[in-house]
Amino acid sequence: MGTVHAKSLDPLPMHGRDLGINNDDLMEPPEHEQESKQEILENKDVVVQHVNIQGLGRTKEDLLGYEISDVFLARNLIDVMKKAHLARQRLLRLGIFKDVEVLIDTSEGTDALPNGLDVTFEVTEIKRLTGSYNTMVGNNEGSMVLGLKLPNMFGRAEKLTFQFSYGTKETSYGLSFFKPQPGYFERKYGHNLTLNMYKVTGQFPWSSLKETDRGVSAELSFPFGMTNHTLKWEGVWRELGCLARSASFAVREESGHSLKSAISHTMSVDTRNSAIFPSRGALLRINQELAGYTGGDASFLKEDFELQLNRRLFWDSVLSLSLWGGMLYPIGSETSCIADRFYLGGPTSVRGFGMYSIGPQSEGDYLGGEAYWAGGLHLYTPLPFRPGKGGFGDLFRTHFFLNAGNLCNLNYGDGPQAHLQKLAECIRWSYGVGIVLRLGNIARLELNYCVPMGVQSGDRICDGVQFGAGIRFL
Amino acid sequence: MSLAADAFVSQIAAAEPWPENATLYQPLKEDQILLSDCASSLAVQAYLRMCGLPVQVVCRANAEYMSPSGKIPFIHVGNQVVSELGPIVQFTKAKGHSLSDGLDDVQRAELKAYMELVNNMLLTAELYVQWCDDATAAEISRPRYSSPYSWPLSNILSYQRQWEVRRKMNAIGWGAKNLEQVYEDVSQCCQALSQRLGTQPFFFNKQPTELDALVFGHLFTILTTRLTSTELAERIKSYSNLLSFCRRIEQTYFEDKSS
Repeated sequence: MGTVHAKSLDPLPMHGRDLGINNDDLMEPPEHEQESKQEILENKDVVVQHVNIQGLGRTKEDLLGYEISDVFLARNLIDVMKKAHLARQRLLRLGIFKDVEVLIDTSEGTDALPNGLDVTFEVTEIKRLTGSYNTMVGNNEGSMVLGLKLPNMFGRAEKLTFQFSYGTKETSYGLSFFKPQPGYFERKYGHNLTLNMYKVTGQFPWSSLKETDRGVSAELSFPFGMTNHTLKWEGVWRELGCLARSASFAVREESGHSLKSAISHTMSVDTRNSAIFPSRGALLRINQELAGYTGGDASFLKEDFELQLNRRLFWDSVLSLSLWGGMLYPIGSETSCIADRFYLGGPTSVRGFGMYSIGPQSEGDYLGGEAYWAGGLHLYTPLPFRPGKGGFGDLFRTHFFLNAGNLCNLNYGDGPQAHLQKLAECIRWSYGVGIVLRLGNIARLELNYCVPMGVQSGDRICDGVQFGAGIRFL
Repeated sequence: MSLAADAFVSQIAAAEPWPENATLYQPLKEDQILLSDCASSLAVQAYLRMCGLPVQVVCRANAEYMSPSGKIPFIHVGNQVVSELGPIVQFTKAKGHSLSDGLDDVQRAELKAYMELVNNMLLTAELYVQWCDDATAAEISRPRYSSPYSWPLSNILSYQRQWEVRRKMNAIGWGAKNLEQVYEDVSQCCQALSQRLGTQPFFFNKQPTELDALVFGHLFTILTTRLTSTELAERIKSYSNLLSFCRRIEQTYFEDKSS
């Protein structure tokens, strides 16, 4: 038997592949099947004796052990090829190799078994330092973004990224260090540590507010049973200012510096089959943040949850139900800061209303609220007459929606009964129809025709066509 | 906002009378406010009292950042926000309240020149003593300035402010001066003011003007504020007519109203 390049499974004959898929049944290969396989593939029971990795420079070998150990479990050639292929993909996913080639050969040397195989991974490491730069224009501002990345800093797939944006108005930067747990590279399954340092500037025209944040954060994420948890500490120096001289006095009063030090915990369960157009499964995310106990000026307790249920109906249509809610409870005598409060409304939450333009406001500047809830009922269907089915057309959905929500401030002296009553009065709601476009697997664009209802004085509405883009959707 | 819109707004403002709930914002009086801010705030308060315009003084830790120009003090009248003495004088003039209407062109030019003198000498000297004299900066200015904030923000902000002022001092050529030279400048400024005042009750005869308010604000604050050294106050105390001028304005405009 000669050398086989198992870079991909494609060149394999069709029936061989079918057999390969059944190989779970073949883990204890009955003699019978084995013989028939030998006939078809001229194969026999094999033992993987050595797995070599060639081309390693600064990468530590122990990291790769977790990714390739499965190859040793293979019992026949198809299995070896399949497992080697999977291992190759896992190696590439680490983001530290430019290229990985797999070489399968018969064992040689003194201890070689007659049916022994050696698998060799020939890897090419990515450069120690990669960089990028691009320019952006938008929002009356031009900026240049410079990015630097150390993809494999200490040899165990640690990632250090630095991004610096120099604009005509603002500069911002972010430095991030990511340490994966070896063997669990995918964020979802391992104990992963992320450290961040950043400066970002945000302009919020609905509040006439400008915010500059400089902060550091440390984040540990880990799984626990079915759930994923994230523990985070964040220290931020926040500088608030008015966006224009005409800003309302209520916003002007919030100007100045403050320090927030907060610990937060996020628990999430996600059984959906897709983040953007799920057809089944549910998502539950509960987030709590406690600020003030570790220093800083801001002290509050913030609770926030998000629930989404999906159910497939007839003809590929999906019924989706979402519910959001949150509460901010200021601790001590201080009132809550405008930057910590909740905002609601816009093309991605309660549709038919202006961006974050529901609830308490002063002279046209929205001040946010300390409690909110929002719910949505969507019926997603494929495009009418299904143009571009199986291809481009699958990026689109039509949807009919019914959204409702409320945002207000609570008087925490009153009981829960009064709170519920307050949240239940003056409910804003809207209904409509629109087209949704999926962008990758993280964002989506919506073009909707909305009919806002239950509008309260001070709310800004968007009666008719509304366009929106975002990554979080009601 | 465009210039035209600005002009439009100020015209609307002119049409409205002075409201009862006008408010003046300044930093916290006990723990935070510094000599220079206190002087500017007192000057505006004196000016408004001379005009007979009621204003309520409110202390806020973030007054500096609330101010549209970043300077102390500022007033909130109706829905208008105006900061610093110069613009406030213009603003009240638009509403029909002015102290310098009776002056002729020569006097008006003189008024402007003396106000510039006070701002360039006394205010700059106050800033110099506060932030460029290491003892004062360490013992008084930085702790007071940063008092509303928690560590490490307190250190960051106070050093940032100190660095800013020192850079400004270097830009205007005061960076190379020592404390003695600054005291000498203050003396010279006071001498000029003392000569202009002479034996008159106010700088321009019997009627107070914004110059009187400005001079009173600065001198009175320097005289009554405790610093690491009393040298600054001592320099002023050698001009007896300025002392009695301060006492006169205090009695006329501040003691009557409060009693």
